[in-house]
Amino acid sequence: MSEPSPATAAAQASPAAPTGVIHDIGYRHYEGPRLGRGAALVALTIQSLRGVFGLGRTARAKIMPFLIGGTMMLPAVVSIALMAVVKQRGVAYPSYALIMQAVLAVFLAAQSPYLVAPDLRFRVLPLYLSRPVTTADYIAAKLAAMALAMFLLIAVPLTVLYAGELLVDLDGPPQTKEYFAALATGVIFAVLLASVGVAIASFTPRRGLGVAAVIAVYLLTSAISGVLVGVLMSVSRDSAAAWAWLINPFFLVDAVQVWLFGTSPNNDGGYPEGVGGPVALAAILVVIALSVTALALRYRKAASS
Amino acid sequence: MTILATEGLTKRFPRVTALDRLTVSAGPGVTGLVGANGAGKSTLIKILLGLLPPTEGTATVLGLDPATRALDIRRSVGYMPEHDCLPPDVSATEFTVHMAQMSGLPRSAARERAADTLRHVGLYEERYRPIGGYSTGMRQRVKLAQALVHDPKLVFLDEPTNGLDPQGRDDMLALIRRIGTEFGISVVVTSHLLGELERVCDHVIVIDGGRLLRSSAIGEFTQATRTITVEVEEGRQALADRLTALGQTVTAHGRLLIVETDSPAAFDVVRDAVVDLDLCLVRLEQGRHRIEDVFREEVANV
Repeated sequence: MSEPSPATAAAQASPAAPTGVIHDIGYRHYEGPRLGRGAALVALTIQSLRGVFGLGRTARAKIMPFLIGGTMMLPAVVSIALMAVVKQRGVAYPSYALIMQAVLAVFLAAQSPYLVAPDLRFRVLPLYLSRPVTTADYIAAKLAAMALAMFLLIAVPLTVLYAGELLVDLDGPPQTKEYFAALATGVIFAVLLASVGVAIASFTPRRGLGVAAVIAVYLLTSAISGVLVGVLMSVSRDSAAAWAWLINPFFLVDAVQVWLFGTSPNNDGGYPEGVGGPVALAAILVVIALSVTALALRYRKAASS
Repeated sequence: MTILATEGLTKRFPRVTALDRLTVSAGPGVTGLVGANGAGKSTLIKILLGLLPPTEGTATVLGLDPATRALDIRRSVGYMPEHDCLPPDVSATEFTVHMAQMSGLPRSAARERAADTLRHVGLYEERYRPIGGYSTGMRQRVKLAQALVHDPKLVFLDEPTNGLDPQGRDDMLALIRRIGTEFGISVVVTSHLLGELERVCDHVIVIDGGRLLRSSAIGEFTQATRTITVEVEEGRQALADRLTALGQTVTAHGRLLIVETDSPAAFDVVRDAVVDLDLCLVRLEQGRHRIEDVFREEVANV
């Protein structure tokens, strides 16, 4: 037969014929946009922030952050129930982070090593540094992620509580001023705790050690502060005891809150009068600056090795 | 066109001089950087990426100076380190997407490029599993993928065949060759095994103790010494004597005779000598020198 039959020709031409060919389209160059350092920094921050809450990680990695997130919500839920049922306020906004300080400390200790230790241990850092970012960008992204995580942990329950208060509609005006004061203080908490936590964690590539180190620093400061306050109070040196409270980073921030927003102190006996507030704020700034310097030195060394 | 060039590049660490007045240049294509462990290969790459400042001298990569334009260089360069550098608890896909974003690709483009690149390096269904469970060969592929995902103009591959079995080694070398030719991405690949690079490189730079030993096109390496290899069934000694008498330089290598030559006419001389002596010729071929031999000679001469 010199010509193919019409049927065969139709089958060959028909797109519906089950041919199942895999086409190797070869290598394609990327012609699209290339964003700058800022975009990389945002990408790393988001990736780190998701990781802190266990998103995009294994189920086991989600247990701790979700458990702590749930615990942070408890006082808000209980307070809303109190307001709804017995028309009484529960936890005050400015006291929230102070009451939950141990929970916040555990979260900081558990999650800040995750941000920095694996990159050191598995030597992913050289890969980051071979990208168009600097060590400063890397540090900034990691600090931003941890600070954002701490802030969310504080701000979400406060906001839920405030929404609850508005919905329940107690007698008298809502405590809007206290709510915003607590949010602003939450920013200070977040930045201070994140800087200290990440700085301590960055010194060991081992996560377990990082967790232990961060929690040890919290326990140590809170124990020293507590013992000193107790001893000084028992010998009636109340003004010295007021200073001793500031050794605990949480009461240090509370002193600033009292000074800036005129809230009532969350410790027994209050903070030093007069210069107490400014000194506390200065101390916070110094601690943040020291932590960031330590991080910069740490990563300059890591980058050149 | 020059992809990279260095001029009197020196790097001194407190106790060791890693690079000693190194002046090299490389064009497009696949360039091999050869040297023993500790020859300064990794240090050179780190300087070229702008991660280490040189003690003296200058360098340019894609026409940019790493000392001042490191970020621009890193935007269009990929780097595959020698050491393990992968987090175990994420999948190859997630990791490659993330690394693409770190190079400045928008998220959707990063996803697309990551899928493409992982396919090109030969990772298929397993790319959705955590990297912790990968074999060495698969890890090397992921490392290569993250270096290529942002479509760089140049990639530095530091010991890419390290730890691979012979099959994996062949696959990796074939892939490197494809990157240099089909993908159109210039490659600088380091190795301490010279024979490997012979198969994939257009140009080879040999460094030793931080100094340049030799830099030339691959053809020059293999043509550097011209010899003819002759094998006869019997009468090897008679043939050697005859050729020596005819003014050729002959050395015996086991069953083979190596005749050094400077012109194709030597083939005729050997053929005539064999015919005259009535010997059975088994083999008569151009002697192929491997880079190892050149390297050995050059080291011996230094």
